[in-house]
Formats: sequence, structure tokens, C-alpha cells
Amino acid sequence: MGLLHTWFPYILAGIAVGGQYALIAIGYTMVYGILRLINFAHGDVFMWSGLIMVYLVTVLPLWLSVILVILFAILLGTTIERVAYRPLRTAPRMSIMISAIGVSYLLQNFALYITGGLTKTYPAISWLQKTVTIGSATTKMVTLITPVLTLVLVFLLVMLIKHTKIGMAMRAVSRDFETSSLMGIDINRVITVTFVIGCGLAAVGSILYFSNYTGINPMSGAMPGLKAFVAAVFGGIGSVPGAVLGAFVIGICENLIKGAGWTTFSDAFTFVLLIVILMVKPTGLFGEKNLDKV
Amino acid sequence: MNKNTKVALSTICIILFMAFVYFGDMWIRPGSSMKMLITVIEKGSIYALVAVSMNLLNGFTGLFSLGQAGFMLIGAYTYAIFTIPAASHDSVYQYFNGGVIKWSIVEILEGKLGIVGHYLGMFIPILLAGLVVALIGFLIGIPVLRLKSDYLAIATLGFAEIIRAFFQWNTLGPVTNGSNVLRKYTTYKNAIFPVLVAGISIAILLLLINSTYGRAFRAIRDDEIAAEAMGVNLFRHKEMSFVISSFFAGISGALLAMFQTTISATPFTTVMTYEILLIVVIGGIGSVTGSILGAFLFTAASEWWLRGLDSGRWLGISSDLMRPGFRKVVFAILIMLIVLFYSRGIMGDKEFSWEGFIAWWKRLPETIRTWPKRRKAARAAKKDARDAKSAARAREKQGKQESADKKLSGEALFTPLPMADHVIVFDKEGK
Amino acid sequence: MDKRQVVLKLSDITMQFGGVVAVDNLNLQVHKNEIVGLIGPNGAGKTTAFNCITGVYEPTNGSIEINGDVVIENYPKGKMKDAYKGHNQGKYTRSLTMLPDKVTKLGVARTFQNIRLFKGMTVLENVMVAMHMNQTESVFAATFRTKKARATEEAMREEALELLREVDLLENKDDLSTSLPYGKQRHLEIARALATHPSILLLDEPAAGMNPQESDDLMRFIGRIRDQFDLSILMIEHHMQVVMGICEHIYVLNYGGQIADGTPEEIQANPAVIEAYLGGDE
Repeated sequence: MGLLHTWFPYILAGIAVGGQYALIAIGYTMVYGILRLINFAHGDVFMWSGLIMVYLVTVLPLWLSVILVILFAILLGTTIERVAYRPLRTAPRMSIMISAIGVSYLLQNFALYITGGLTKTYPAISWLQKTVTIGSATTKMVTLITPVLTLVLVFLLVMLIKHTKIGMAMRAVSRDFETSSLMGIDINRVITVTFVIGCGLAAVGSILYFSNYTGINPMSGAMPGLKAFVAAVFGGIGSVPGAVLGAFVIGICENLIKGAGWTTFSDAFTFVLLIVILMVKPTGLFGEKNLDKV
Repeated sequence: MNKNTKVALSTICIILFMAFVYFGDMWIRPGSSMKMLITVIEKGSIYALVAVSMNLLNGFTGLFSLGQAGFMLIGAYTYAIFTIPAASHDSVYQYFNGGVIKWSIVEILEGKLGIVGHYLGMFIPILLAGLVVALIGFLIGIPVLRLKSDYLAIATLGFAEIIRAFFQWNTLGPVTNGSNVLRKYTTYKNAIFPVLVAGISIAILLLLINSTYGRAFRAIRDDEIAAEAMGVNLFRHKEMSFVISSFFAGISGALLAMFQTTISATPFTTVMTYEILLIVVIGGIGSVTGSILGAFLFTAASEWWLRGLDSGRWLGISSDLMRPGFRKVVFAILIMLIVLFYSRGIMGDKEFSWEGFIAWWKRLPETIRTWPKRRKAARAAKKDARDAKSAARAREKQGKQESADKKLSGEALFTPLPMADHVIVFDKEGK
Repeated sequence: MDKRQVVLKLSDITMQFGGVVAVDNLNLQVHKNEIVGLIGPNGAGKTTAFNCITGVYEPTNGSIEINGDVVIENYPKGKMKDAYKGHNQGKYTRSLTMLPDKVTKLGVARTFQNIRLFKGMTVLENVMVAMHMNQTESVFAATFRTKKARATEEAMREEALELLREVDLLENKDDLSTSLPYGKQRHLEIARALATHPSILLLDEPAAGMNPQESDDLMRFIGRIRDQFDLSILMIEHHMQVVMGICEHIYVLNYGGQIADGTPEEIQANPAVIEAYLGGDE
């Protein structure tokens, strides 16, 4: 009991962060599932959503800002796809990855320019910041809201993928890009929808994440982005439930490591996990195996 | 042009270049743009080396590796740790009781061999930096090189981050100084030093690429399965390429430490790796001379030509937009333009040759004169393509409509598309 | 019976992917200096059989002997133990695998159905890559161009040029491999395979896309290299004219299974083969 007493706050924080990572990870895993592309810019879309919120709240009411932030993230994500990825779709795999890295570099530098490199304070959403006490832990409301909201959104997403026409199209495209296009599926539409969903969820994630860690700077997106990607790989890239599970595992482990006093390695742990999973089961927990045709 | 002329021409150019760097760094006073040029060459040559080492992996062996910054970091630290003079240890390692290594290779050798020992004392730690990184590259390579393209990229990125965390770990403070900077280590006095070291290293890499092993690397890049079927041991050759690339990344890290005079783990982030990758892309993936050109252009643009964009005045234009950070935005946009519209980079996968250069030079006036014409043609071609595309889309739409109508009849496959001129229109009376 | 030495022997080779049996219980022998054909409709499992021999796939069951030694052997294990649908379960108990480059070192070279040349390299370089495995210089010697390494490189170049002369590609030696016309690319693939000094050559549809005249030339060419390089050849081919013209023995696959084997005359008269190719009566 004593042990649980000590660790409980860390586990709680871990679940919350895990939920936030999960919302980012879905964007990675869906885009990878369909385009076979690590969208290196996804973490920066997440960071930009946070940044835009900082600026919007100063002039608009909160509820409107939240809606606009989500719309902004969607617009940014689809624009990136349209401008930087679509023209390279037939190019070698490495080119499109380089393009993603270029976009990431551009978004970070632009944020650096806008903010002047200063760390901005994320607006306090009073309802999310409310303090609650459960058992031994005193925490913010956001910690409790995050996992619930994440699971609800994931449930809705899984329903969408399983039971709607566009969901079926997405599954088909991720299974076989070329055949799907021959079968008359509008590939561009499927990809756009994928980016809309991924970026929308990343924007929701950013609201929760930055309500928790209130400082935001141009580099804030890089680390959560990479961790979310690792979560996606851990769960088996292309699998939404896998990504969510991976994100919770990473979030919890990371906080337990912090609790143990190894803060320096809390980030590194993610990559250790990545390397271990790639060695042991390269397809992730729920991933499928692809055979090269010779 | 025969071989001797070319060799002579190249030798003269290299000697002139070296002389310019050496005497320039000695005589030109700081602050002038000439001095700026020398600084750009100095830093550019360090980046050129790491870019070529990355190109060996990405461009010549087809391994998309993103660990270069981490390898440079190890190289930089290895060099710095072994060359901090004994007297400076207490002030550098002030939080760690002067650290555990209380001596400097430079001082030991200088004491024994004088000035020769001094330079030897600099070369040995540089070599050591390369060897340490090569060893770590070897160990990292064993697991990660079994991974395919993008998984490899993300795993190497991950290792680079782990390395960074490791070097900032306070427990290792007595060696790495934790999250504090390392400084006061021995550095070079003239810009010729990094240019020479980088130049020799790149020459070795070029020799490697043009050897039978280089051919095997390129075979792996072009087609792994065919390479394996031709008896090329994939893992052995990938590991070899990875270790050699790591070795030279370590050396460039050591040179960077010397150039900067202080070093900490903080700047060796993924962004740094991205920048190195973008240098490779600007120069051309699979071209050594391209990477060198790319490195110099990148350094010149970011350190010199675009500086004005940060301070409000550039090429005589002044604007409120130009405040700190603007340079990097413009720069990033330029890079995106290259990636999207000029993805082969400056050199593509070709190398510099005198014949190519002379042909290019002769063509230059023609190229410039016909530029508007070609632009017009390109624009027209683009418009045609667009028109064709929209026409195709319209046709497709029509086709979809047709097939939707015939969905149930099951004969869609066998009925030819109706053509507009064959449709007979009856008027109301049915004539 | 053929008195010549058996150089390649497949025993009960079965390859199952998930629930699909791609090759079912294939037994095949290639004798020294023999040209053997492997035919069958599309999807019959011919290329899969090649991939098993060359180490690209690990067969699910069965064994492969090269020059008298068993080098690949496997039996259904793990999940496959229950899912296995082929024959001879329990006959094999060893698991021997070999990577493709090792198989090549044993003297088995191959070409590919969908040509796989090294795209960014010249014709000459393509051939020289295949000689890389037989050279013994260390990477240091090769990089720093020691006298011996220079001699080795020169010898490799000479031999590669000689091979290119054989396949009539000498004047194209500095062209990019992909700039060659289709037929010449096929020839280059064969030259590249020969450069590994094989004793057994596996040709995967060498005559694909060739007109009758070109097929004729190819047939003569295959016969010539067999004699000149002392080869045993196993080839997959759809052009019956080629197969019937040069193969001494033919194996016929359909839906993974082996439906017939024999001399060209026997195969032509075999009703099962005719049915597989033309489809039986409805």
C-alpha cells in the first residue's frame, strides 16, 4: 500500500501524458498506414496549434479559440500534405521523407521568428487547471479529463474506420495503395481526410498537453512528436489502438522513471523502448508483416 | 584535356586555395568580409566532412541514417576531454572537483617532443575521437542495420537522443562535466588546420567510394536483393559503411569542438542532423563534390549572405519584417523550394570534372540568354499538363456517371464509352 | 537414368505463406552440365522455388542439396506446425538456413524475372560488383590503393570486359545499365551472374518479352555459355520454343504442385500438362 501511495501520483501523471501522446500518435500512425511516410512535421503542427492558441486567446473568447485552433491545425496539416507531400508521391521514398524534414525545419524556424525564441506561457483554462484530490494524489483536472477524452475520441475514430464508407476506403488504401486507386477510390480524398483527423486530434492533444506543461517554445513539438511516433511504432504502425496503447505505456513508464529520480533519461527511455521493440518485434504489437516481392 | 593537365589544374587550384586560407587567416583583420569568407571556409569544411560522411550512408549505401549529430557530439567530447590543460581542470570541472582526467594529451606530448609533440597531441585526440565514435557506431550498427529504411532513420535518431542524454547525465560529470560546457581545451591557431584535416578525410572517403567496396555499397543502394544475389554480404557491408561514416563524423565533431572553442551537448539535437541532411540534399544525394559545395553554400548563406535579414537591412532593402530569426525562415523556404522543385540538388549524383565545368562555363551565356524562353516553354508545358489533367478528370467524372448508371446491368465492362458525335438527338416530334 | 553427378537436388520442398501453399512438395534434380526447364502457368510457384534455392525465402519443409551437401533444410515449426498443409511433415528435423550471398558463394548464381540491375551504375560496374565477393583485399588496402589492390582491381576490370565481350556488350560498357534496350539488359543480367563464377546458373524467364528471332539467339547463347563456363542450368521459361529446344529435362508445376517431369517429348505428350496449360473441359 505504501508503495502504491508513493507511485500513484506518477502513474496518474503518466496516464495523462500518455493520453496526450496518444492523440498525437494517431496522426503518425494513420499517415504512415496510408502514405508509408513518417510525417516528421506532425510534432510541429502540434506545437503550432499550441502557439496559435496563445495568440488567439488574447483577442477571442476561449471557446472560439479552441474551435479555431483545431481548424487551424487541420488547415495547416492538409496544406502541408498538398504542397510538400502530394507532388512527391511518385518520387523515391527518401525524397518525401526529406520533404517532411524540410517542412519540420521550416515550421520550427518560423515559430522561432514569430516568438523571437522566447518561451510563451500557455493560457490557463481555469476549468482544466482546477485542483482535484484523489487518494494520495493532488492533481489538476486536465490529468483526469485527458484519458477519458482520449478514449472517447479513439472510440469514435475506430467506429469511423470500421463502419463508414470513408473508413473502409482508408483501410483499403492502407492495405494496397495502387489497387485501391484502380478500384475507383479517390486516394486524394482519403489522404486529406487522414490528415484532417490526425491534425484535429493533435490540436486537441496540444490543448491538453500545454495546459499541463504551460511553457511553449518552437522546440516544444519535437520531443512529444518523436515520442508519439515511437508509440505508434510500439503499437504496430498503422494500427490506431496499438498507437494508443503504446502512448499510454510510454507516458506511464516515463513518469515512473522521473519518479525514480532518473529525469535525464526519461526522454532517452522512449528511444530505448523503440530500439528494443524494433529488435524484438519490428512490426510492433499489432502490426502486420509485409513480404518483399522478389 | 589530358589527364596530366587536369591533375596539374586541380593541384594548382588546391594550393592556391590553401594558401589563401592560410595567409588570409594570418593577415586579414577581423571584421572585413574577406575574413568572413575565411570563417565560412573554416566552418564549411567541417560541415563538408560530416555531410560527406552522411552522404556515404544516405547517398552511396542507401541507408537513411539520422544519427550524425549524436556521433559528432561524441567526437567533440572525446577531443575536448583529452586536451584540457591540467591547470584548467579545476575551473572547467568546478562542480566536479576538477574531474577525473587530470592530464592533457597535448601537454604530455609537448613536454616530450616540443612543437612536434604539440601537433601530434592534437592529431591523436582527433584520431581517438574518430575511433571512439567508430566503435560506438559499430555497436549501434549491430542492431539497427537490420532495420528497413524509415525504421532505421527513426532508430538512429533515437540513439542520437540517447547519446545526448547520456552526455548530460550528472553522474558522468567528472568526465563529461554534466550539463555544463567544456572549454579551455587546446585548439588550432590557423583556419588551414580544419581545412586540411577535412580535406584529407574527404579524399580518403572519395577513394573508398571509388574502390570495389564503394561499388558494393552502391549496389546495395540500388537493389539490396540483387546485391545479395551477387554475393555481397549485406550486413557486413552496411556495417562497414556505417562504421566508416561514424569515424569521420567523429573527426568532424572534434574539429567542430576546436572551431567553437567551447562545447556542450545541448546544440547536438535532431535539428542539427536535419541541417546536415539538408546540406547533402542541396548538394545532391550521391555526390561528394555536391556535399562539399552544399556545405559551403549552407554555411555562407546562414552565416554571411543572409545575416542582414536578421538586422533589418539586406541588399539595401530594409523592412520591419527583418528581425532576428527572419534569416532562418527565408533559408528554410529556400531549402523547401530546392527539395520540391530541384530535388536532384546542385550536382545530382554526378561529381565535379573539369570537362563538365568547362562545358557548363561555355554554355553559361547561352543558358542565361535563353532563360526567359525556356521559362515560357516550361510554363506552357505546365499549362498543357494542367489542361490535360482537368480534361481527364472531366472524362473520368463522365465515365463514373456512366458506370454508375450501368452498375446493375453488369455490362459496363463490355460497352464502349459513348462518343459525343455519335449521339443522335431527336427533336420533340421524333423526326 | 542419368549417370552424371547431381549438382542441385530439391527434396520435398514446400513453401507455405500463411495459409497459402506456394510450392508443394517439389522434388527436382539438376545434373552436371544439364539444362533443366521449370515450367508452369503463372502463379504455379516457379519463382518461389528459385527464391527457396537462393536463400531469399526459408522453405517451410524439405531440404536442398548443392554439390552433394545439404545446405538448406527446414521443417514446420512454431505456428506453422499446426497450420502446415503440405506433405512429409515429420520427415525433416533439422533447420539449416543460408543467406543469399552465401548461396552465391557456393556457386549458385541467378537472374531475376523482373530485371534487377543496379540502376545508378554503368554496365561495367554492374559486372564488377559481382566480382567483389571473390576478391580478398581488405577495405584499407582497397581504399589506399596498395600495389596488390591496384592489381586486383585491374584484373577484375579485365575479366569484366572479357565477359562483356562474350555477351556482346563491350561497346556499351560505360552506359548506364538502365539505358540499355530490354534484350541487352537481360544479357547483362546473365553476364553479371556469370561474374560470380557459378557452377549452377538459375535463369528466371530469360526470354520474357523477346521475339522469336531473339529467343533463337538466346537459346544458342545459353547453350554456348553452358559449354564455355562448364555450367549446369535451371531455367524458368514460358516460351515453349526455347524450353523444348534446349532443355534436356523439364519439370512442370501447377498450383504449387509438381504435375509432371520428363524429357521434352514426354512433356509434350503428357495429358496433365496439356490440361494445365489449356484448361480442362468444362
